[in-house]
Amino acid sequence: MTEKDVYILGIESSCDETAASVVKNGREVLSNVISTQIPIHRKFGGVVPEIASRKHIEHIMPVMNKALTDAHVTLDQVDAIAVTYGPGLVGALLVGLSAAKALAFALDKPLIGVNHLEGHVFANFLSGENLEPPFLALVVSGGHTSLLIVEDYNTFKLLGQTRDDAAGEAFDKIARFMGLPYPGGPEIEKLAATGNPDSIEFPKPMLPGTFDFSFSGLKSAVINYIHGMEQRGETINKADVAASFQKTIVAVLVEKSKQAIKETGLKEIVLAGGVSANKNLQDALAKGAATVGAKLVHPTKILCTDNAVMIATRGYYMFKHGDRSAYTLNAEPALKLGEK
Amino acid sequence: MLTLGIDTATKVCTIALIDKEKILAAYEINMGMTHSEGLVPQMDQLFQRTGIAKKDLELIAVSRGPGSFTGLRIGLATAEAMAYGLQIPMIAVSTLEVLAYNLPVDNILLAPVLDAQKGNYYVALYEWHKGELQEVAPVTIMPGKELYGFLEQYNKETVLLGECDKLIIPENENISLAPLWNRLPRGSAVALLGEKLHKAGGDMDYFGTEPFYIRKSEAEELWDKKQQKK
Ligand SMILES: [Zn+2]
Repeated sequence: MTEKDVYILGIESSCDETAASVVKNGREVLSNVISTQIPIHRKFGGVVPEIASRKHIEHIMPVMNKALTDAHVTLDQVDAIAVTYGPGLVGALLVGLSAAKALAFALDKPLIGVNHLEGHVFANFLSGENLEPPFLALVVSGGHTSLLIVEDYNTFKLLGQTRDDAAGEAFDKIARFMGLPYPGGPEIEKLAATGNPDSIEFPKPMLPGTFDFSFSGLKSAVINYIHGMEQRGETINKADVAASFQKTIVAVLVEKSKQAIKETGLKEIVLAGGVSANKNLQDALAKGAATVGAKLVHPTKILCTDNAVMIATRGYYMFKHGDRSAYTLNAEPALKLGEK
Repeated sequence: MLTLGIDTATKVCTIALIDKEKILAAYEINMGMTHSEGLVPQMDQLFQRTGIAKKDLELIAVSRGPGSFTGLRIGLATAEAMAYGLQIPMIAVSTLEVLAYNLPVDNILLAPVLDAQKGNYYVALYEWHKGELQEVAPVTIMPGKELYGFLEQYNKETVLLGECDKLIIPENENISLAPLWNRLPRGSAVALLGEKLHKAGGDMDYFGTEPFYIRKSEAEELWDKKQQKK
């Protein structure tokens, strides 16, 4: 007898995208609706929390409805509602969370609170690579830089994380400092493509003996370099700065990942989080991993940035595991990987 | 008409079930707990205790503001998703009118106020006439210290309601504060007001209804100011 199909409605509102999705059996995407606010926040140079929350409440129900309509799935057919409860902006999280809780309550459906970072890791199950645990994961986003072992669908072991700025945060801050539009990460990558990555030597923060990261020193070095040039009245080749900075940060991420592969003997490493869309990082990590006998898996482009597919997928495995959240579930803006 | 009323505009988390103007059940908590943690469990208990089935609900009414932005969004997202899930109409009502429902007495000027941060208040004026609530002055934002002068010009017996405990009101035979136990929003009033508006055809779309913020976000206000200077 075949098992009954499981339909999970995923909801995501942790930052500047309102998203909903229906995923069947954890791996089949039936719909993926994302309402992005990036153009709205651009003039402010970054996400304004109050504006983000206002946009979420405007869009949450239409987005959720479209996800169900696109999937041709009725509310009755939905087996559980999975929702991001952290980390993220508290006011933003609360919109999606409140709607998810109310819907679960109204329909007596299970509620499953999902860790957004675990969602990013699980986006890799939809990369079409038939990925199965155990594997390594490198999570790189605006708020996080972590290396972890995904031992099975419900067990994650943190190897190391950033002690100060996250990689994505360094990208964003440097971009802002160079006057590039928000979001800064993709802008740096674009600019770097035309620059010489070997033109400027920035310090490479390796923190030997641990899997931890530290990028605030590198960020300061880049800012100091630009300041120094400005003071001396020299013209700055922004493309060279971007390329050299990107090369340094990617080198650290790849080096640490290679060490982790060697130490754990795992044969696969996945990329997760907003910065996983960076082509430069993808290529360097694929090459680096290959030199130590491992393969890189990364999410498809649409699933690199925030979305609800990854929340529904993570929710599916939690559902199977018997995880359920109480109606008292609150937003956890500083939730860490592997935390409940 | 079986109606659920929800108000999370202030620190009070208050919900009620009414039918034909009769309050069947109400659950109100004012101890500074978060609405996010409390609202749905509170509803769960209300339905369990009354034995009323959620699917028998006919209308959901929610307090739309003004009030705490985050609180309003929690209430509205909850009301919208419930109405959507149950496929029933939803209506959002003014929090200031909800407050005026606490004192349905003719010929008294009612001044419900809500904290608008940084010493400012949202205020509107109402009067009851033979069971009908009438608006005397529409909602505005003003500094707390101007409120007294604003009310005095009406030269009428006035009662302040809402978040007025930080206001300094000089001794005046015309102006008084509603008693503490009658000052804050009630889910039952939200439901009563909602039912009335619903019957008058005032339903709202649960797609895209926004809280009644009255003003733009601080970031947008600053941005507008910068643009004017240019
Ligand atoms: Zn993310």
